[in-house]
Amino acid sequence: MNDQIEPADAARALSEIGRRREQVIRRTAIPRWYWWAIAVLEIAFAADADYSRRGALFWAGNALLAAGMLAVNGLLLSRQSRGPALSPDLVAPDSGPRLLAGSVALWPAVAGVTLGTNLGLEAARVPYPATIATAVGMAVLVAGGQVLMRYRLHLLAPRPGGRG
Amino acid sequence: MTTPGFDELIHAPTRLSLVAFLAATGWADFAVLRDSVGLSDSALSKQLATLADAGYIEIRKAFAGKRPRTSARLTDGGRTAFDRHVLALQEIVAGTPGRWPQPAGHPGSRSAASGGEPAPGVSP
Repeated sequence: MNDQIEPADAARALSEIGRRREQVIRRTAIPRWYWWAIAVLEIAFAADADYSRRGALFWAGNALLAAGMLAVNGLLLSRQSRGPALSPDLVAPDSGPRLLAGSVALWPAVAGVTLGTNLGLEAARVPYPATIATAVGMAVLVAGGQVLMRYRLHLLAPRPGGRG
Repeated sequence: MTTPGFDELIHAPTRLSLVAFLAATGWADFAVLRDSVGLSDSALSKQLATLADAGYIEIRKAFAGKRPRTSARLTDGGRTAFDRHVLALQEIVAGTPGRWPQPAGHPGSRSAASGGEPAPGVSP
């Protein structure tokens, strides 16, 4: 039977296998809306802190931020639990630590950019430093999140046949 | 070490899509499989039954509240057959197809495959 399989047909089959693998990897990735939602919440909270200082509005903003974070993360968890889970066979031994390092590095990078910008803006007496600094930090988060997901796809997608 | 082995049962277009999807995941919900591969409920049921009969997948039926929930995953045998099939395809593409051993009664033999061809109109 295999003698009758044309190389073009075999190539199409391999392409389909790769497409399905990529489909699973994309479906198990953190979606783009998540990064944007976190960014919008954080910027709104920073703006609230800049405008209201420590008044009642500040604490209301705190409560809204907490509720928003819970909702966004709950939505993500619910989506992930209903979807397929990535097979551990797809993850090469060296890919796991590299992905973990990328994920862990993103958050200190965002915090560092936000704090550094905030300190610089405060020193320069620029108005609304927290809002501007958070917007810069969240731009790093959104861009970094996309890069991280592309890196994940790059690490996981090329492995043919899962294990072996 | 995995040796190449062309598998007719897996190579049918719809089943290839299903097995490739299952190879990249663990347990996959029936609805996820149906929507991902783009099959009707009946076409998916038929293909899953064919693969289960061959011992390539395991089907689990559970209840989420009062709603029945069916999931499937590749068995170790199914994963091995898939890995061997991928290697065989790679060899064909490279232009060096070998003569791969087919175990007696292998579910991917012509007779097994002929009973489980995809229904007309359900191939992706």
